[in-house]
Amino acid sequence: MKAHGILAYTDITSIAPLASLERDAWHIEKPEAEPKRRMNLMMKKICRFLSPLLIAALVLGSLPVVAASQPTPGATLISTEEALSAERGQSHRERIHTILARDDVQEQLVAQGVDPAEVEARVAALSDAEAAQMADQLEELPAGASVVGALFAVFIILLVTDILGLTNVFPFTR
Amino acid sequence: MLTSRVWYVENARAAGVLVLRKRLRKIPRLRFAGLCLILLLLTGCAATPQLAETTQQRLPERLLLDDVPFHGQRDYQCGPAALAMVLNAQGVEVSVDALIPQVFLPGREGSVQPEMLATVRRHGRIPFVIEGNLDTLLTEIAAGQPVVVMQNLSLPAWPLWHYAVAIGFDLEAEELILHSGETPQRIESFKRFDATWARSDRWAFVTLAPGKLPETINEDTAIEATTAWERLQGAEASLPAWNAIVERFPGTAMGHFALGNARHAVGDDEGAIHAFKQAVTNDPNLAVGWLNLGLLHHARGENSQAQRAIQQAADLPGKWQAHAEDALNRL
Repeated sequence: MKAHGILAYTDITSIAPLASLERDAWHIEKPEAEPKRRMNLMMKKICRFLSPLLIAALVLGSLPVVAASQPTPGATLISTEEALSAERGQSHRERIHTILARDDVQEQLVAQGVDPAEVEARVAALSDAEAAQMADQLEELPAGASVVGALFAVFIILLVTDILGLTNVFPFTR
Repeated sequence: MLTSRVWYVENARAAGVLVLRKRLRKIPRLRFAGLCLILLLLTGCAATPQLAETTQQRLPERLLLDDVPFHGQRDYQCGPAALAMVLNAQGVEVSVDALIPQVFLPGREGSVQPEMLATVRRHGRIPFVIEGNLDTLLTEIAAGQPVVVMQNLSLPAWPLWHYAVAIGFDLEAEELILHSGETPQRIESFKRFDATWARSDRWAFVTLAPGKLPETINEDTAIEATTAWERLQGAEASLPAWNAIVERFPGTAMGHFALGNARHAVGDDEGAIHAFKQAVTNDPNLAVGWLNLGLLHHARGENSQAQRAIQQAADLPGKWQAHAEDALNRL
């Protein structure tokens, strides 16, 4: 009992510096490790929450495809759109992605200030490929008639390039 | 003593001037060379585009589609304005004001390319993106089609994206005529136009009623454009477009396949079977053609023909093999 006590004592003293080192290391590590761990935990939580939703969305999203390829009850033919996407080497998963893209584009259009009453008709007029393109890169797509930055240096450069016939910003250069 | 001193000073000055002159002579030469280099680099990427010999012979010397109405753009709305011009020229009565809520993106203060095409579809015309070069552009204008072009009027670093409608040209003066922005019949040199057009990867499209095809269109682009149109407007409305495609490209397999689908959708199953047969005659490896031919035979109770066609599809490796084997088992 006594020996055990001494052992325990020596143990503590021998370990103490190590423990403090470890604590220091922990302190240094903490600001990086803690958010990471939290992020991981949060990601796990989000994934746990999102996965069933995504599965449901994918299943629901693929239903209209099946329905759409049945124009008449007589024969279920492969639609031209499906055949073309297969020709292009698009996998089934990519096809579902392009179909889901339409919902995404609807949301983005509303966020860009489009009248919600118009959004549905606008998205319906897009081809699958265009809808996917809009969903993935609406921000980067060039939009006809943006404004040019009004910096003085830019003005001078553009004036010169206008005179050289490379650009067409200022009508008075011609 | 005095004279010798004066001589010395003058001599020194003369020598100094000589050195300075030499230096000055060198600097402008360097500067001039540098300026030339910069100019060469800048203009090098913007040489006047050359037309192919055959195009030049085919085209009239000068041409203007003066029946294309002009709509001036307001604010940043060159997209709706350009669309109104080409649609009106096609006989579609639609105003710029009606088009703005259909194509303009307030958040981007402009209109994006996919939606320009989509809006044309909504108004019953098929948008065909044409190949991006001056030969194609001028050929389409000469065929009577105003062409919507996308330009970046500024430099890539500070883009100024713009839609205009090309309506004419003058080969001798090397000039293009466009309805652009607030200017009707604006004249731009081929060189300047091509420099600004190249920055959008020379994006351009024409709009046509179903049943008509652009002069320069290739098979794949025509089929893609018509498929997108059919998705919105339905099979019946797209039948003339598919007929035009198989007439222009008799060897097309996919065109006949699509025609078969459209015919089937409107209840013309015999016509559909004929089209599917033509599709697999043109390309015996078109598994999806065999598959649809078989499925349609099966629906009509013609089981031996169905069996034969689906077997063909099942023998071809690819995406439709599993589908075909499945169908065979159900026969």
